[in-house]
Amino acid sequence: MSATHLQDAAPSRRSAFLDLVSRRPEIITFIILLAICVAVSVINPAFLQPSSLVDIGRASVVMGLFALGVFIILAAGGIDVSFTAIAAFTMYSMTLVVKDHVPDMPIALVLVLATAGGALLGVVNGLLVHHLRVPSLIVTIGTQYLFRGILLAFIGTVWIMSLPTQMGAFGRMPLFQFESGDGRTITLPFYFLVLPAAALLTWWILSRTLMGRAIFALGGNASVAERLGYSLKTIHIFLFAYAGALAGLAGIIHAAANRQANPFDLVGSEINVIAAVVLGGARITGGTGTVLGTLLGVLLIVVVNSVLVMVGIPSTWQRVVVGGFILLAAGFFMFCQKKNN
Amino acid sequence: MRVPRKPARVATARVLTVSGEPPVSHASTSPMTAAAPARPFLELRGIHKRFGGVHALRGVSFSIAAGEAYHLLGENGCGKSTVIKIMSGAHAPDEGEIVLEGRSHRALDPIQSLAAGIETVYQDLSLLPNLTVAENVALNEQLVAHGGRLARLFDRTRLKRTAEAALATVGLPTARAYLNAIVSDLPLAQRQLVAIARAIATRARLVIMDEPTTSLTRREVDNLIAVVERLRSEGVAVLFVTHKLDECYRIGGHAIVFRDGQCVAQGPLTDYSKHRLTELMTGRTIDSQRYRTGAPQAGELFAADGLSLPPSFARVSFSLRRGEILGITGLADSGRNELATAIAGVTPAARGRIRIDGKVERIGHPAHAIRLGIGYVPEDRLGEGLFLDKSIFENEIALVVSDLANAFGIVDKAKGRALAGRIAQDMRLNTGDIDLPVGALSGGNQQRVLIGRWLSIRPRLLVLHGPTVGVDVGSKDTIYRVIQQLAEDGMGLIIISDDLPELLQNCDRILVMNAGSVVAEYDAQATDEEELYQAMLASRPDMQTEAAR
Repeated sequence: MSATHLQDAAPSRRSAFLDLVSRRPEIITFIILLAICVAVSVINPAFLQPSSLVDIGRASVVMGLFALGVFIILAAGGIDVSFTAIAAFTMYSMTLVVKDHVPDMPIALVLVLATAGGALLGVVNGLLVHHLRVPSLIVTIGTQYLFRGILLAFIGTVWIMSLPTQMGAFGRMPLFQFESGDGRTITLPFYFLVLPAAALLTWWILSRTLMGRAIFALGGNASVAERLGYSLKTIHIFLFAYAGALAGLAGIIHAAANRQANPFDLVGSEINVIAAVVLGGARITGGTGTVLGTLLGVLLIVVVNSVLVMVGIPSTWQRVVVGGFILLAAGFFMFCQKKNN
Repeated sequence: MRVPRKPARVATARVLTVSGEPPVSHASTSPMTAAAPARPFLELRGIHKRFGGVHALRGVSFSIAAGEAYHLLGENGCGKSTVIKIMSGAHAPDEGEIVLEGRSHRALDPIQSLAAGIETVYQDLSLLPNLTVAENVALNEQLVAHGGRLARLFDRTRLKRTAEAALATVGLPTARAYLNAIVSDLPLAQRQLVAIARAIATRARLVIMDEPTTSLTRREVDNLIAVVERLRSEGVAVLFVTHKLDECYRIGGHAIVFRDGQCVAQGPLTDYSKHRLTELMTGRTIDSQRYRTGAPQAGELFAADGLSLPPSFARVSFSLRRGEILGITGLADSGRNELATAIAGVTPAARGRIRIDGKVERIGHPAHAIRLGIGYVPEDRLGEGLFLDKSIFENEIALVVSDLANAFGIVDKAKGRALAGRIAQDMRLNTGDIDLPVGALSGGNQQRVLIGRWLSIRPRLLVLHGPTVGVDVGSKDTIYRVIQQLAEDGMGLIIISDDLPELLQNCDRILVMNAGSVVAEYDAQATDEEELYQAMLASRPDMQTEAAR
């Protein structure tokens, strides 16, 4: 094979920027995020105060955990919309168990049990996806109704306003604290650490284990992956169990942070999370995306949701803005791919 | 990125000189043959396989020795793919015996087959488009080493090492940028080699290649042949499944000919002439004579004047008369593919003029081309042309559906069926049932359905891109007869193809493209394959460097 022919593999005659963007689409997400932050801080310098940054960090945790789960399933070519129901289910049942039966259960055990419970519900998803051979979107729409229905019909519908003490304490436990200029105490809660830890773990699984590569292989072409000897059943079960575990954990953190357990909570925010993951550069058709991109996508949505108010845009406009960004980013990703081919 | 020349080029040159001579079997001249062990690596004995009522294999027996090359020949549907699946463990035979290194088995399972070193390069390549070259080549080696268990660390150093060794063997670069390139960004020919690299990344003993050269040009085939030589020198047996008889002779080795689920002949290729092999495959005599007997009519139908689409082709000019058949050939990167899609309006030319019947027209979109009476039959008929799960009838009328519909948008089915039936007859489909899904037809019949669809709009000019790629010998014959009939009726045809005998047998004139330009024009009756190859392979400055001056 001659040298001139092999040259085709190298992107010599393409624009370097477009090439970079088509390989790392999250760069666009980062640029949009940066542009918003600059614009907002020019209009309202209050945005740059530590207190608003801490607010953004705190608001990212639950959505970030959900998004990591959605991302890993999207990478394998599937989609999950049941994670909010799993989170509500484990959050509410766990709170009831602690409140009514084991009031002195240590918080670490609460978190572990919630995570395990979420994983168990995820396994149900994985088994159904594998054995019914039905697209995961349909399966998880079904299980979302199922999990939520069981929660509301058999477990309870009462809004728990006073959490068990250890859960409330966990929600308030500070990572660091400081006084802001106007004398308020600003707290970055300890649970914030869960997000970077989960992101690191997800990154490690995806890039450093055979399971991680198998997930992307499945997202590339499921029937080829099967022909090459990857066990699709193992991958499906792991994927949904992992996403379920993250959802279970996110549920408890959500309750602890809001100091209440509402069984009607969370379900309905799936699209927001999927939007964040897609804004982070993962293709809805599977096989691509990065953990970093996912986090940037989450950050973008959280920032848009929290800063529009600061620049005087009514909160009802948030959806319009988020929708516009999704179309803008998706259009740009597509444009870069086309340019590159 | 300029990649250093690989030793593969030396081997390529050597094979080229051999191929210049009349068909000589490599097996008989190569010193490796003498060292081949007496006991075959794999032997099939009296294999039968039935699928429902279809008796796909009827007592097939053959054996494969280490370090030898074999060519499994036969028309579509003769049982070739079934026998491959039995060797790779995907199917179990109903009767018969598989002897693997002296041990008898009733059937193999995929793990047994892989563990014994039987690797298959499927026609669809089975690559993972979103992963890197290194991962596609070497990830499976780690998966197999861990027995398929996924809860294991992924060893990047080992991945790199395995991938480098396998890529070097097939003559691909081992630079880091190449290892990390995403497979979907590679040209098709390189993907083919990546698939082969994966097959040999584990300790392969037998590599089965299912129609590996379908999408390769001559230069790439030369490289593949060099790879096969290297594998054979390491004692690896290679089994080709192919339609292309010319390439079999260039590779050399043994022929195994299938017809209707039976093995009708086997032995050294040198014992069989091309003519004889064709007879064995089809069960009838097909003359390799020139199909073209007619002559073009007077009057220019189509003219291209200085068409350019950087960086693919530049200043391409030619004209075509009514009833004329023009062949265009060149290497895959010569710009011929882009020229074809430019004429069809799929990727419009950036500069230059097109005249149709003396009038200057602009073709900026496939719909323009269709309105002007230009039909385009793409090379990738599955991907770009046919609706496989729809019936022949629905496929045939796809272009004229709006003409068949009345004011309320309701399609006149009876009229459509009559049209589709007529086309099916004209195209000599071997089924009368136009309600059959196209996916159930053989490759040759699918191609005829696709050509037939264009006949529904009565084009003035039909552009055929690789009209017989992946089509068996019998269907080729029918397609050529149809092409000649269309030219007789006054249609102009442009055939873009790698298959030089096809162009020589069917065309009036042949244009050769090289590095984006038309470098030569030949009268098809006054030239031969060798002259065309010379023009295709002559080295020319790259278009960019030329433009830069």
